[in-house]
Amino acid sequence: MLDNVGDHNEMGEEEEDIILSELPNDELVLQMHDDLYDGLKEDVVEGTTILLERGWSAEKVLSEALVGGMTIVGIDFRDGILFVPEVLLAANAMKGGMSILQPLLAETGAKPVGTMVIGTVKGDIHDIGKNLVGMMMEGAGFVVIDIGINNSVEDYLAALEKYQPDILGMSALLTTTMPYMKVVVNALVEHGLRDKYIVMVGGAPLNEEFADAVGADAYCRDAAEASTTAIRMVAEKRLACA
Amino acid sequence: MSERSGRRKSRGRDAKHADRKRNQMEVAAFIDRKIPYFDYLSTESLELIEHNADTVLEEIGIDFRDDPEALSLLKDAGADVEGERVRFPRGMCRSIIQASAPKEFTQFARNTERNVIIGGDRTVLVPSYGSPFVRDLDGGRRYATINDFENFVKLAYMAPGLHHSGGTICEPVDLPVNKRHFDMIYSHIKYSDKPFMGSVTHPDRAQDTVDMAKLVFGDEFVENNCVCISLINANSPMTFDATMLGAAKVYARHNQATMISPFILAGAMSPVTVAGTATQILAEALAGMAFVQIVKPGAPVVFGTFASAISMQSGAPTFGTPEPSMVMYAVGALARRLGVPFRSGGGLTASKVPDAQAAYESANTLQAAAMSGVNFMLHTAGWLEGGLSMSYEKFIMDCDQANMLAVLLKGADMSENGQAMDALREIGPGSHFLGSAHTQANFKTAFYRSTVADNNSFEQWQADGELDCAQRANAQWKQMLNDYVAPELDPAIDEALLEFISKRKGSFPDKEY
Ligand code: B1M
Repeated sequence: MLDNVGDHNEMGEEEEDIILSELPNDELVLQMHDDLYDGLKEDVVEGTTILLERGWSAEKVLSEALVGGMTIVGIDFRDGILFVPEVLLAANAMKGGMSILQPLLAETGAKPVGTMVIGTVKGDIHDIGKNLVGMMMEGAGFVVIDIGINNSVEDYLAALEKYQPDILGMSALLTTTMPYMKVVVNALVEHGLRDKYIVMVGGAPLNEEFADAVGADAYCRDAAEASTTAIRMVAEKRLACA
Repeated sequence: MSERSGRRKSRGRDAKHADRKRNQMEVAAFIDRKIPYFDYLSTESLELIEHNADTVLEEIGIDFRDDPEALSLLKDAGADVEGERVRFPRGMCRSIIQASAPKEFTQFARNTERNVIIGGDRTVLVPSYGSPFVRDLDGGRRYATINDFENFVKLAYMAPGLHHSGGTICEPVDLPVNKRHFDMIYSHIKYSDKPFMGSVTHPDRAQDTVDMAKLVFGDEFVENNCVCISLINANSPMTFDATMLGAAKVYARHNQATMISPFILAGAMSPVTVAGTATQILAEALAGMAFVQIVKPGAPVVFGTFASAISMQSGAPTFGTPEPSMVMYAVGALARRLGVPFRSGGGLTASKVPDAQAAYESANTLQAAAMSGVNFMLHTAGWLEGGLSMSYEKFIMDCDQANMLAVLLKGADMSENGQAMDALREIGPGSHFLGSAHTQANFKTAFYRSTVADNNSFEQWQADGELDCAQRANAQWKQMLNDYVAPELDPAIDEALLEFISKRKGSFPDKEY
């Protein structure tokens, strides 16, 4: 009997070992897309480091290797091919790469994709949806500050003050708590802060009309839409301010 | 006029028309089960789950959040309290519960013929709960209003297969958040005489529920008897929050029933396996029910569970799939071993409209709930869209299913008449039974007659307008609301309730949270 060399994947196909540092740039980027897809954090970190060593700017690594890869993940999540636990791993791998890029981006003054503070409103402990939104946003390259459940106006204001994000995200699943979103938006207006932040809201009992009524900038029906909307709105805002 | 003696006057066409239109359902206050439980897991498996649940309680513990009083009560009772984490020595919760929690209890209704016994071999069927939206064929999906709420109370009152008026049948979104409970409780009392559920979204609202019940039943009666039952959800995994604990304390102290319900979307809120989920549910329920017994020994508690699995593709809850049914079978058996009533089940579905998906997912969960021995079946009728929407048509379709569960649980008739040996002898080989004396005597009630299914010929169905099930149900609920006659309510009680409500509503400002 012949010994099989190399590993076997789910399909029983033989997998060849590769050495990332030996790949040319274009192949390495494609390989990193696959590594993100499979949630291989260490490999993504290694790939990120290699590209930086080869003289790529942090911005270029971010957009071509990481965001490019996560876009594919997002598409396959939307289409039901990737499952939530797999996207979670992919987002984690992305975070691994980001942890290397972030200080470099900060040094050059380049902006990250965006920053978001997210939490459920006062009286509401439903957080599964919020967690999924956070995961998708991280996957899209956002820095996400999750302030958890049951947040009062003061909690939100304090987090905005501290983290200066692009986006304030609020989630609510109860008809008894979703009106509180308006209380928060009103407080932003009162403090002259309303225009400083993009306000995004979501949760199963909400709809577009309700989001308009509370004065939010966007309502998103699910996590995938939240991340695409966030990317678009941050880009638009930066363009408008530029 | 010639007098013929010895012949009964025939009742004729009109009488028969009236007879056939009347629902042939026996109206009973609740279902008395006559069939065995379906043992899905072996005794060894159940013992293993019990052992593991005790390990969870002892080793990992349960968080009781933002409620220092709860922590000190638990500590005094012998639990190990570290911050908000509470660990229970092996067997502690079980022995506290078994020492004082009733195995079964009566929930009184303002019409005593509607009293229900919760626990033992009984099943009480209850409308759906908690939907922010309603939907019907004419108006589509929209936020619910108090008018919808009243409509559903009336429909549940008229439905012979539902034994209970339920609680937050749908959320009256048109009323201020901090005052809508008054109108909901009032509707249950005014438009129905079946038993009802209380408000849990704030301890003050629980207190208002108790105070309103006292105006109906009298102070002393309420302190000594269960007149309302309320839904206390665990915030799984392994957490109880102050809102729910606060409401639970109010109800327990007034001797009112609570259903401690781990409400699980498996995969997100519990492990993905049946045994793992059942273990966590048991641990959480044991902790919650023991807490209620510590607050007020003897206060009625129900072991609740609501199990669903999430879609691994989106995180959304799914219904009518096999795994949550397995969990329900397991937890039903665990509740019986513990010796407390069991709440679960319902006509659950993720479908957005009352279509084929809605029907089969609901049938799957309703049947499994019946077989698993659910005593209090919340969400029996109306549920759509994972509980986000309460449907008028689906309500009618589910009521049909509810009627059928009553027949199923009654078991087969093994009396002499049930054995039908006379019929077999009379007819013998080769003939048919339609004319036999036995058939003539039994045909009216022998088979359940669906209220919404169509079994006619294709041509007849065509002539009747080619209606599908939802369309037939649409006509039915409208007819029911049209025919509705309110049960009598003592005007003095009505006045007292209205006065109480207006006084309380006037004593604090409207708030939208
Ligand atoms: C910032 O930008 C964004 C953008 C997009 C955003 C976003 C933010 N946030 C969400 N999105 C969007 O993206 C997400 C991912 O795709 C999506 O998030 P979702 O959260 O919609 O979807 C999740 C992935 C899966 N969905 C969920 O997680 C919610 C499912 C349902 C079944 C639900 C659950 C699971 C729970 N519950 Co509750 N619960 C229900 C829910 C009914 C339903 N079908 O929605 C609902 C919302 N609950 C309800 C109720 C009544 C309650 N619950 C309660 C408790 C709980 C549990 C703790 C048991 C549990 C939550 C556990 C947890 N850690 O989150 C109680 C309240 C607790 C509290 N203080 O908050 C309690 C009051 C129960 C009681 N005892 O009476 C009902 C609402 C009633 C109302 N007034 O509106 C309810 C409709 C169910 C029902 N019919 O009873 C999108 O909405």
